[in-house]
Amino acid sequence: MANQTTETVRLMIDGISISVPKGTLVIEAARQAGVMIPHFCYHPKLKPDANCRMCLVEIERVRKLQTSCSTVATEGMAVRTATTVVNDAHKSVLEFILANHPLDCPVCDQGGRCDLQDFSHQYTATSRFAETKRIFQKEYFSPLIETQMNRCVQCLRCVRYCDEVMDVKALAPIGRGTMTEIKSFGNHPLDCEFCGGCVQICPVGAITSRLSMYEYRPWMLKRADTICTFCGDGCQITVQTKDQELIEVNSAHSGGRNNGDLCARGYFGFHAASHPDRVTHPLIRRNGTLVEATWEEALLFVAEQTNRIKQAHGPQAFGGLISGRCTNEELYLFQKFMRLTIGTNNLDSSARYGHVNGVQAMRRVQGTHRWTVTFEDIVQADVLLLVGTNITEANPITGLKVKEAVKKQEATLLTIEALQPAVGTISNITNLSKQHLCVAPSQFGAAVLGLLKAVIEGDHVDPGIRQRASDYVSALSHAVRQIAWEDLAVSTGISSDSFAQMAASVVRGRRVVVLAGQILLRSQGGYGMCLNLLDLLLLSGKLTSPGCGFAPLAEENNDQGAVEMGAVAELLPGALDLTDQDSRDRMARAWKEELPLVPGGTLIEMVDRASAGIIKSLFVVGENPVGSLPSQIRAKEALSKLDLLVCQELFLTETAALAHVVLPAASAMEKAGTFTNTEGHAQAVRPAIDPVGDSRPDWEILSAFSVFLGAPLEYGEAKEILKEIRSVIPGYGSLGPSPIAPTADPSAIDRYVTEGYRHDVAIRYTLPPRAVRQEGTVQLGLVQSLFHSGKFSTHSKGLLQIEPSAFLQMNPVDAARFALGSGDRVRLSNNRGQFITTVKVLERVPEGLAWLPDHFAQEALRLFDCVIDPDTKVPSFRTATVSVLKAT
Amino acid sequence: MLKDKYQQEIDELLSRYPVKRSALIPLLYLAQRDEGFVSEGAMKEIAGLLHLTPPQVYETATFYTMINLKPVGKFHLQVCKSLMCALAGSDTVIGWVKTKLGIGPGETTTDGLFTLSAVECLAACGTAPMMQVNDDYYERLTEDTFDRILADLKKDGSCSLKTGPFMWPEPAPAKPGA
Ligand code: SF4
Ligand code: SF4
Ligand code: SF4
Ligand code: FES
Ligand code: FES
Repeated sequence: MANQTTETVRLMIDGISISVPKGTLVIEAARQAGVMIPHFCYHPKLKPDANCRMCLVEIERVRKLQTSCSTVATEGMAVRTATTVVNDAHKSVLEFILANHPLDCPVCDQGGRCDLQDFSHQYTATSRFAETKRIFQKEYFSPLIETQMNRCVQCLRCVRYCDEVMDVKALAPIGRGTMTEIKSFGNHPLDCEFCGGCVQICPVGAITSRLSMYEYRPWMLKRADTICTFCGDGCQITVQTKDQELIEVNSAHSGGRNNGDLCARGYFGFHAASHPDRVTHPLIRRNGTLVEATWEEALLFVAEQTNRIKQAHGPQAFGGLISGRCTNEELYLFQKFMRLTIGTNNLDSSARYGHVNGVQAMRRVQGTHRWTVTFEDIVQADVLLLVGTNITEANPITGLKVKEAVKKQEATLLTIEALQPAVGTISNITNLSKQHLCVAPSQFGAAVLGLLKAVIEGDHVDPGIRQRASDYVSALSHAVRQIAWEDLAVSTGISSDSFAQMAASVVRGRRVVVLAGQILLRSQGGYGMCLNLLDLLLLSGKLTSPGCGFAPLAEENNDQGAVEMGAVAELLPGALDLTDQDSRDRMARAWKEELPLVPGGTLIEMVDRASAGIIKSLFVVGENPVGSLPSQIRAKEALSKLDLLVCQELFLTETAALAHVVLPAASAMEKAGTFTNTEGHAQAVRPAIDPVGDSRPDWEILSAFSVFLGAPLEYGEAKEILKEIRSVIPGYGSLGPSPIAPTADPSAIDRYVTEGYRHDVAIRYTLPPRAVRQEGTVQLGLVQSLFHSGKFSTHSKGLLQIEPSAFLQMNPVDAARFALGSGDRVRLSNNRGQFITTVKVLERVPEGLAWLPDHFAQEALRLFDCVIDPDTKVPSFRTATVSVLKAT
Repeated sequence: MLKDKYQQEIDELLSRYPVKRSALIPLLYLAQRDEGFVSEGAMKEIAGLLHLTPPQVYETATFYTMINLKPVGKFHLQVCKSLMCALAGSDTVIGWVKTKLGIGPGETTTDGLFTLSAVECLAACGTAPMMQVNDDYYERLTEDTFDRILADLKKDGSCSLKTGPFMWPEPAPAKPGA
């Protein structure tokens, strides 16, 4: 466990006295003293391997030279790194490496940022080796990663990273001695998570990215530190460009919340912004077709139509939808535009697809709209409970924090997932579980109830809460008593003993973090499950303990920001209640204008109102309801009825194709602002290239609307909006290196345990309905793929090379049952329709379930039922029962 | 599938070790006994049995010269090329193989009888140069003994000059090479 009182030791490095925490390696102590010891195989993320001998140093009273990367600093140690003996040793190591190194720097992409190049310069090392050099046969390695093994210095950083950090284990040193070569398996091309970690960590040019091969020299590139837009983890990326061209993305070690690690989307997905299909000019519909227009014409058109509709039908005839991919500045301005300029609360964002469930549960139980923990708390947790996260694919970097906690800190991992432990080409978090309950998504609720029942009936309820809130405890005790273990066993396939064992592990933990992911948040009853998980923490006395908390994972990069900026119907900036008079007054004072009173419609309500002809005009910013909602919601029909549909978009999506006006929006690569990640940490977004074509940042477009509508919301740059946000939400987005998590609000908890829990206990503590699965059917689930993130990533050429099309993932047993093999075509059908796709057989898919990655699933959406949460209005359409038939 | 044929032996091997991965080399030997070499299919199956990824199995299989990744001839000549043998003339031995059988390291004679591999130290440095043929050692090689070994192997499938096998704990036929 970290965070105990840290003892320190004092040592001398080249005459500099320095004090470091006990256990620090000499090489790290030297770094802190400002002394750089040359090294290849050492990396702070990895366990010392001491295989390259480059880091040798002299230590007083130790006879031989020591490897500073594996020697722990001790009290009174005296280290010398720059004596003749040490220098000679370094030189010889370099000479051995150079004996075989091809010295092909002129054609090597690493040239200019290569450790071997740098050290060779530093030591002017040359080779006396006259024989021929080792030569490896060049083989095709993978679509995105290139290897040139003649350059390898055999430090094994790549292999160790892939194993220790990623838990993928796709790389192996093949052969032995000088002839050791890094490969995957036989002559098969690499098939892995494509996180790019091996490319980043290779100290030389032996592993490089094919996306930018031969395109640059490091000194030709311009760099911008910004934030990835492909999920809620909020990784810091450095985008490297040559003029307007996106060349490469990487991430500095110790940079950002991701500490330099990325996933395939972050590392290889950056080309999406420069796809040739980008909308580059404003488009106006004339005689049924969208034709190019000037900004002036487009804005005027929007203003005229808006004024006309407003005069005829009033502000409630308008609605707005914004994507959680926009910046905080844009989300804030959007809701201000809708509320003030237009005068309606009809507005929503993609947070509605699931994130709102987690946020509303936290607000209700603990009075925060953010996590009370951070990534650091995940790493330092001693017990982690993951429910419905599919974390490796949905939130890969949060997944790395979990892996680090388990692999390095020995945390106990408990998982309730629709996932089978199995070794595959991508990592599988349940392989690391101490206890794993494999449950279908439709029964996650039942599993959570089983856990609650085990906590209560196993007499694990915290005496404090029992005393403080006896009514609450007895109400829940009563509720769980109504559920029979037998029924739970039938629903989940899990015995009471297993629940008891898991409950005991949760209760034993001192730092317990519960993570809930998309699969749970987007499921029917997702809100109730979040509340129940919070009940679990409350009952076991963990909710308010330091290092403990509930962490629902955000899907879009700025879903959290959308909620905090008030870009949802029911919340004002700061996630304040729209119905709360104090909050309304505060906003009215800040904005010097009254807020609209009529409660706003949420996503589905707006679609319904458009369909009923009540809403006549919709402003859509980066959202695609027609493409993302199941067809029974009839979004297409509803939006076709509108008098005015304005879309701010990068691409001509299904929704934009229906629009009256399409305005070219700048991508996140082209604008400044801030994103707030899943932890609630606001981070700076910086432009790497100029806006493509005539596109403009969404905030500028909104601001231009307001000017044309005669009620200007004018800002010179995004920073001015952030300034206003800070005046409304004091201290918003400190932009420091790590977030300061809020603590649970005791008065909110008091309200919850006295009264707040009551009205829906009976509903929340009922087992979800059990679907009887007919012979010949499977439960189809929409899942997030590691290689895509919504539609946007399907414009990225790198990601398309890894995963070009849709496929159905199913278990070998089911596949055999339906006589299907990987690559076969399959027809999925139910009474709603049918869908044909290709099968991929994977052991990690549990029997009876089948997964479809959601970014290509649009055609399949018609098979899904849609249920709207009565409290949070979150539409859930994640599972469907379908018949499976081999298609020919 | 190895599992279909050797279920019991596999279970026994797995039961020997507290850490599953430790059974890797015994399982590789099992696969090699079955097919004469370790195929990709076998490596994948072993990976599955031990919860390893195929690259992890491949790594070990390529490290040891005792594991053949390709089919080998009836007689697998494994000439040690490590330091002691090299000083005592292992290059010469490899040269004899080339002139007498026409194969270099990694090659098999067209009649499928002999495969040559250059391998790492086999712990018979004191009696260098040496080679191992299948499970038997032949030490202090000279051109004469080498010719005789080849002739005997072709004729009888064995040669009385052998010393060993030493690799297995069973009692070896007595005749400790010198
Ligand atoms: S890109 Fe693939 S091989 Fe490289 S570290 Fe990541 S998962 Fe491993
Ligand atoms: S490929 Fe790079 S990281 Fe891997 S062993 Fe070789 S030099 Fe080291
Ligand atoms: S998609 Fe998420 S995990 Fe991957 S690099 Fe981007 S922010 Fe990080
Ligand atoms: S860095 Fe210390 S031995 Fe490689
Ligand atoms: S060097 Fe050949 S047996 Fe040891």
